[in-house]
Amino acid sequence: MTGLLDYVQGESFLHRLNPLTKLVLSFALCAAVFITDSHLIIIGILAAVLAFSAAAGTVSRSLRILSSLGKLSILLFIVQILFVRDGKVLLHLPFGLVITDSGVLFSLLFVLRFMTATLPLALMLAVTRISDLANVLVKSLHMPYSYAFALTTAIRFIPLFAEEMSGIMETQTARGVEFDTKNFFKKVRLLLPLCVPLLISSVRKTEGGAISAELRGFNLRKRNCGFREYPLRVADVLAVLFGVAVILTVSVF
Amino acid sequence: MIKIQGLTFTYKDGARPALAGLELDIRDGEFVGIIGSCGAGKSTLTYALNGVVPHHYTGDMYGSVTVEGLDTVESSPEEISRYVGSVFQDVDGQMVSAVVEDEVLFGMENFGVPRSEIESRLEQALAEAGISELRHRATSTLSGGQKQKVAIAAIIALRPKIIVLDEPTGELDPRSSRRVFDTLRELNENHGITIVVVEQKIMLLCEYVKRLLLMDGGRVVLDGAVGDVLRQTEVFETAGVNIPRVATLARELTKLGYYSGATPTGLAQAETMMREVLGNG
Ligand SMILES: Nc1ncnc2c1ncn2[C@@H]1O[C@H](COP(=O)(O)OP(=O)(O)O)[C@@H](O)[C@H]1O
Ligand SMILES: [Mg+2]
Repeated sequence: MTGLLDYVQGESFLHRLNPLTKLVLSFALCAAVFITDSHLIIIGILAAVLAFSAAAGTVSRSLRILSSLGKLSILLFIVQILFVRDGKVLLHLPFGLVITDSGVLFSLLFVLRFMTATLPLALMLAVTRISDLANVLVKSLHMPYSYAFALTTAIRFIPLFAEEMSGIMETQTARGVEFDTKNFFKKVRLLLPLCVPLLISSVRKTEGGAISAELRGFNLRKRNCGFREYPLRVADVLAVLFGVAVILTVSVF
Repeated sequence: MIKIQGLTFTYKDGARPALAGLELDIRDGEFVGIIGSCGAGKSTLTYALNGVVPHHYTGDMYGSVTVEGLDTVESSPEEISRYVGSVFQDVDGQMVSAVVEDEVLFGMENFGVPRSEIESRLEQALAEAGISELRHRATSTLSGGQKQKVAIAAIIALRPKIIVLDEPTGELDPRSSRRVFDTLRELNENHGITIVVVEQKIMLLCEYVKRLLLMDGGRVVLDGAVGDVLRQTEVFETAGVNIPRVATLARELTKLGYYSGATPTGLAQAETMMREVLGNG
């Protein structure tokens, strides 16, 4: 899953937008999906986000995210559809369960929302370096630098954790521990003891990082220390206007 | 200028002193190598030089450490790090950024390097560390050797007077290790930066440094020009450090009266010694 969320290098217009613009735009699209009740509008937004992905050269990744969300959505759809009882009954099932027309529409809306709301955020992460996002949060939104630093460090550590975890699991598997058990509780019981060595080695790593950061002046840093500039260009204004337009449209319809 | 007098330091939860009455003077522009067995106190000494001891790792400290006129107890690690750059053993742990360029920018931004200078310093530091082509790479995709050079570049960019390195080639193959030492030599000779480097690979170290220290039990037990230090093979045995075979050979040849020159510290000198010995015999 980690591979689906990290930065994809590129020079597309999305890559070049101000990180703040991308943040605003992705949240706007996300919000629009929740404001509207129209299936068609959500599908329209989904298409627009996929078009953006294509422009940024990350469409294959967006489709992969969509297909893994799709599997979960089928499950959600089935559960949802059985819960809605009002509306015109389309089908009678055993155990007194029914499928109604409003059940179908509601469940469809639910999974469309679920899938479409995730994509803009994933796309934003694909075309924005976390460090740029953090820098702009510090510079423009006056987030304390230490928070931004913690955020970027945490995200940087996710793949390291995953790597370490799979390393530990491999050695344990070699010793005969069966992690591939289908029993969820058994699996948790097997994995839990591994968290301790993982935590210890991670803490040791972050401690080294903390010392190294301190010796390179971390505590001296002020808000305007950042070297990179994030100017707002015409494209940014247009992108934000687009986001506003989408919100207004879905609010009206 | 580094001056350490009677330094004894015991970690807060340490059973015995990690440093025990250590004395050391290092002048500007020196290239000093430190060897010693595991637990001899080498890392602790590097911590004492950059203020990590006693500011980050606390404990009982006696004696004094002065770096460029700053008393390390009274000065903050930030003040000290304006003069002393540190490269640590754990290459992954000391990275703070996801991209090479950001890693080198980090310190410069923090210390408030003027905006107009940042770009040129960045390029220069990457070039000196020999990694200009890695500028836009993600740090997570680099090899151990490349990461170590990034760590060095990040320090070079800060233009410290002194660079302290703790086993910088620990995870590197022989070829990358040499490249790191080539970089250090360059910095020392062309920029006059004082280099203090802890290293296990004794032959490699002896080839590059001018002055060699042997540590044992929290003290400096040998200190001098490389050739002079290598001659004292008994002290090395007591300290549990394997001496290069060529130095042992030189000692035996000297004992037997075949050789009377300096202890070889590199391949070329070893060849000269053998030619001399074989020419005589
Ligand atoms: N963080 C620490 N806490 C307690 N004791 C430590 C710590 N780090 C090192 N020591 C102890 O201090 C002594 C010297 O360690 P160190 O300086 O790491 O030696 P070296 O680098 O030469 O292997 C060892 O006995 C070690 O166990
Ligand atoms: Mg050590």
